[in-house]
Amino acid sequence: MIESCENRLQLGCEVPDFEIDTYEPSIKNFGKISLEEQKTAGKWTILFFYPADFTFV
Amino acid sequence: MGADIVTVSTDTQFVHLAWQRHEKELAEVQYSMGADPTGNLSRLFGVYDDTSGLALRGTFIINPAGILMNSEVNFYNMGRNIDELMRKFKANLYLAKKTDEGCPSKWQEEGDKTLKPGPDMVGRVHEALNE
Repeated sequence: MIESCENRLQLGCEVPDFEIDTYEPSIKNFGKISLEEQKTAGKWTILFFYPADFTFV
Repeated sequence: MGADIVTVSTDTQFVHLAWQRHEKELAEVQYSMGADPTGNLSRLFGVYDDTSGLALRGTFIINPAGILMNSEVNFYNMGRNIDELMRKFKANLYLAKKTDEGCPSKWQEEGDKTLKPGPDMVGRVHEALNE
């Protein structure tokens, strides 16, 4: 992988561990996603950012 | 498929709940809906627009070791193609196993032609793709 990762978010670099509050439709309750837990569970994580709920596209 | 999809906007988790419950297009949603009201996660990934307080349309694929493998960002008025996202994800899974191969631009799924880069292929990619 890329060596000169330092403090920047670049392809091939480690993403800093983050945590985010969520709504989980599958259990109709709130939850959390933690990158650390994703890594522990051996899972890929796909983050899909979008501007706003109740809008289009 | 061994991946968790997490959608993220700067709306709170309460707005996500209301939206998923109300919008029929979202009735079948099973993925996590992430809330980033502070914009911190959006800023980390370089998609935060501080003029609007909203996130741009960014997709990021992170492998199980926490390494960022893919990034795609579009402006507000252009949606992303989900088939392309799936194609990239499948390519990632395949290449994680076959670390000496490359998926050429027409690769769609496992079984399609790949390339094994090496000195013999220099200047002869056409032959390699068509053999």
